[in-house]
Amino acid sequence: MLIPLIQNETVKLLRRRRFAIVVGILLAILSIVSYSQYRQLRETRNANWRADLQERIARYENRLRRGRINETWARSMRAEMRRLQFYLDRGINPEEPTAPLVVRTFANVAGFLLLPLLVAVLGSDIVSAENAEGTDKLLLTRPVRRWKILTSKLVTLWLFASLTLLIGALLAYAVTAPVLPAHGWDAPSFNGFQVAGDTVSFDSIRQLPLWQDALLAYGLEWYALLCVASIALMLSVIFKSSAASIGTMLASLIGGTLLTRVSPDWTAGKYLFVSALPLADYYTGAQAPPYDGMSMAFCIALLGVWALAALTVAYGLFLKRDVFG
Amino acid sequence: MTALSASNLTKTIGDRTIVDDVSFDLQPGEVFGFLGPNGAGKTTTIRMLVGLIKPTHGSVSVCGFDIRKQFEKAMRCIGCIVENPDLYRFMSGRENLEHFARMLRVPSSEIERVASLVNLAHRLDQRVGTYSLGMRQRLGIAQAMLGDPRVLILDEPANGLDPAGIREIRELLRNLAAERGMAVFVSSHLLAEIELTADRVAIIHKGRILRTGPVRELISSQRAMEFRVDDAERAAAIIRERGVEATVSGDVVLAPIEEPDAPPIIAALTQHGVAVFHARQRVQTLEEMFLEATGGETVD
Repeated sequence: MLIPLIQNETVKLLRRRRFAIVVGILLAILSIVSYSQYRQLRETRNANWRADLQERIARYENRLRRGRINETWARSMRAEMRRLQFYLDRGINPEEPTAPLVVRTFANVAGFLLLPLLVAVLGSDIVSAENAEGTDKLLLTRPVRRWKILTSKLVTLWLFASLTLLIGALLAYAVTAPVLPAHGWDAPSFNGFQVAGDTVSFDSIRQLPLWQDALLAYGLEWYALLCVASIALMLSVIFKSSAASIGTMLASLIGGTLLTRVSPDWTAGKYLFVSALPLADYYTGAQAPPYDGMSMAFCIALLGVWALAALTVAYGLFLKRDVFG
Repeated sequence: MTALSASNLTKTIGDRTIVDDVSFDLQPGEVFGFLGPNGAGKTTTIRMLVGLIKPTHGSVSVCGFDIRKQFEKAMRCIGCIVENPDLYRFMSGRENLEHFARMLRVPSSEIERVASLVNLAHRLDQRVGTYSLGMRQRLGIAQAMLGDPRVLILDEPANGLDPAGIREIRELLRNLAAERGMAVFVSSHLLAEIELTADRVAIIHKGRILRTGPVRELISSQRAMEFRVDDAERAAAIIRERGVEATVSGDVVLAPIEEPDAPPIIAALTQHGVAVFHARQRVQTLEEMFLEATGGETVD
């Protein structure tokens, strides 16, 4: 019974041209990435990457010795030094760009802000737009119960959030494969660096073929995006206009991200859903989390709690409320 | 069987009562007019009829199903337009109808049927954003007709239509009631419109129903002839001598008679030396009717 409703929501979402915009943005950004990676490839081919890594480590050492750096920065610098040393010891050039590597990195780089923003653009007005355009009166006076309507909207949002991630990954490959080495899906990939305080622990480091590593990272980002979509649905129910709901969603994503980076002392910030969004980063472990005690399990649970709470509010409001003009 | 029955509908928001104890029944095959000035509570009542607003008290049943307890069954019997005919402007007329046909699970052959019913078949593939208000009104009615409902609820269907369009819609509604036995509920703030369209009418004012009854009794009886004369008091006395009521207002005398009865009165007035400048049939305005019904309370 939900299928025709999901079909309806899909038609509306596509006809609003939102998804076309999202794909356009992804294409534009990835094209630029592809170009910059291509330039980097030309440089690394000639350069001595071992010397380069050693030089970078030395540069970090110098800056740390000079002191007077924000403790968060210092911490991630020390972690990065140890990570580079790790690659150096094993004779792997972590910088040589390949198309599969771009795809893998895209999960981390786009996962913490770009993809959530795109999902917000797609879905933050999926209910409020109907409200603003007056079409909710027709939608809710057909022989379909309200929970089915809202569920069809939620499922559609989840579908398009998934599609955004999938298309992002496919585009990342399609755009870089012509200019970068397109092979290397089974190159070794290291993750599970554990940054705690100033130390990086290598105890739980896993070596996986890149494709497996990428699947894991994308799986985590997928989960994060579904949670973002659920929060977007709640805002679209709460607000009556498209601008208000999309604006609030974008502001909380960008504001929250800024907050977690600017004021690491405010420890309550770790309970914001945005601080748990870079799941792929926490999985790779290459960067220190903004707050202590943010393990992967904590972040997954935190996002889940946020999503559940958002859905509870969304359904509670949507099922009960009076629809005035 | 009663097609739609509203009993004791009341909506209170805070300490304001917007709709107060409204009850009426709709029978199959009749056009029921819901007449009241803007802000009288017409739209709030309609929103309660179609389940958009939960009544504070009272209940609505459609085809015997309670709108709150058996929502899906009740709504399958209703097609409606609430307030404006708002449809998805970024989609074509056909896509809009397909959207609602899918919700009703009716075949797409229904789309052609309802579109030709409102004369919209030729513009069906254009974006609704390019439609005039009258065309959107038609598309709204087409949408409401999907699935062949037993009850049709239309909020101010004459809005935005030109006189020809209004006549067309009026005939369509009368046909739907007469030939297909549908119960049609039409709200309006225009007395003349309701008079021409509806069989029965409920008059709502300040959230309360003042009167319910056949249109002929409630509205047509309010017709009067208006005579503008040089001496209104004397003219009134002459008319009363003939056994007809007469009321004076300024230089005008009003008599509750039909047009064919006017010439003898004009002749009598002229005979008695009263100059008649003009005589015309006058339909009582909604406001005057409210004044009468509420015993002088103003409409504001």
